[in-house]
Amino acid sequence: MADNNTVGTTGHQWDDDEGFPLQEYNNPLPKWWLYSFWATILWAVVYWVLYPTWPLADGFTKGILGWSMHGEYQQEMDAAKAKQKVFNDQLAKLSLQEIRKDNQLWQYAISGGKALFGDNCAPCHGSGGVGVKAGGFPTLADDDWLFGGDLDTIHETVANGRTGQMPAHLQAAGGSFSDAQVNDLTAYVLSLSGINADKTAAARGDALFHGDAACNACHGDKGKGSLKDTVNGQPPPPVGAPNLTDKIWLYGGDPGIVRDSIAKGRTGFMPAWAKGSKESGRNLDPLAIKQLTLYVHSLGGGQ
Amino acid sequence: MQHTTIEKSIPLMAILTLILVSIGGIVEIVPLFFIKGTIEKVEGMRPYTPLELKGRDIYIREGCYNCHSQMIRPFRDESERYGHYSLAAESMYDHPFQWGSKRTGPDLARIGGKYSNEWHKAHMLKPKNVVPESVMPAYPWLLENTLKADDIEKRMQVLAKVGVPYTEEQIKNAKTDLTAQASANADGSGLTQRYGAKVPKADFDGQPDRITELDALVAYLQMLGTLVDFSSQQATTR
Repeated sequence: MADNNTVGTTGHQWDDDEGFPLQEYNNPLPKWWLYSFWATILWAVVYWVLYPTWPLADGFTKGILGWSMHGEYQQEMDAAKAKQKVFNDQLAKLSLQEIRKDNQLWQYAISGGKALFGDNCAPCHGSGGVGVKAGGFPTLADDDWLFGGDLDTIHETVANGRTGQMPAHLQAAGGSFSDAQVNDLTAYVLSLSGINADKTAAARGDALFHGDAACNACHGDKGKGSLKDTVNGQPPPPVGAPNLTDKIWLYGGDPGIVRDSIAKGRTGFMPAWAKGSKESGRNLDPLAIKQLTLYVHSLGGGQ
Repeated sequence: MQHTTIEKSIPLMAILTLILVSIGGIVEIVPLFFIKGTIEKVEGMRPYTPLELKGRDIYIREGCYNCHSQMIRPFRDESERYGHYSLAAESMYDHPFQWGSKRTGPDLARIGGKYSNEWHKAHMLKPKNVVPESVMPAYPWLLENTLKADDIEKRMQVLAKVGVPYTEEQIKNAKTDLTAQASANADGSGLTQRYGAKVPKADFDGQPDRITELDALVAYLQMLGTLVDFSSQQATTR
């Protein structure tokens, strides 16, 4: 019965079940499959000619297209640069104040600044500059500035960084005041922003603040900080001493935290971001610094 | 050769399979050891200091590579965010390299110097304190654990065996250099003489009286990607 002579078999027969033999056909490969197979091999040869492929003793075949991954990257970068050139040229040429007045250019600058901020600044200052109290990273979205909120000062801060200079006061931490004196100072500082504190301790703290501890030298006679206050009629040095009379706290306003600040000092550190500055690992170019400045300025507190 | 001959002889099939697979490996891997330019010639690369090396060990111990890559690929979106694409030369002293393959967190190839030591401390203690949207777990024990560094000379000797150019002098002074780097005030002249003036030297964890695992880890993070000076480095088109 079995009529399988039209297709060859491998010749082996496992079983013969009443005239239906169990055996393996030996069909030729389907034509479409075979031609596709040869086509892929042909493509491989074409690829060797076009693209970098074969390793040689001292290099590799470069291919006639001259393609390279780093070359493609460079093209991508150049293309983006060319696209932004018309704006970037303007950014480079104009002052921060001039850019601020040109609405289109300003929008361009702050949208670039927003992206830069998200990657570089947000880890410390929070998304949108809301600040992070745990590490003493100031909020940038209010108008309470340490060094100043005008464009030029923000630019200086971003480019060259800032270092806090609050010294330690407790003897055990390297200062020159006793436990009790630090407690008195704490009481006075708390009383400045209307927090209930021991009045007699605060009075002793007041004397220290304006006397031996000389806190007023930086925080000002009224404790309003280096930007808003005066010392003997003169402005205090621009060291970023915060205003102690508002209820905005850099590290937190709990008595324990305020005491810690006085006892051990605070040296908050803002890295420098400009290219060429020593501490910076990021080396942002001048345009990026300008964009960041305008973005930070736009967050709510710009002056 | 008839297909049948191959299919019916297992040893022959095994041998031919092996030959075929080897060609792929030989063509792709072997030339890398000989082609000049596989590892670019760059200025500034140096082996890890003892403290950084211990920090790197902690990086591996805590499995940081599971979520962080150290490989900036040559694409615009990557270099706009992370900086210049990574060079092979930058991981030539890594055994094993930490390129990673998955980014749940950001790439760390150029994290060095980007954030302050204080930030790294606050971040390691509780990442959500500084980055509220972060999913990174906290590593508070790093600040508690005193750094165990009694095996540092041996670690460096082993690395020297596989090709990291540690000198006798560097290995001999490993403990001194380790202590010096973790302190802001200690004399670091030996350290800078042996590893260069750019070595970040600080009390990384804010605890001057002891050297913790956090000191080591932050020291390592703060040097990542900072060694090669790209202003003098010519872009190598390959």
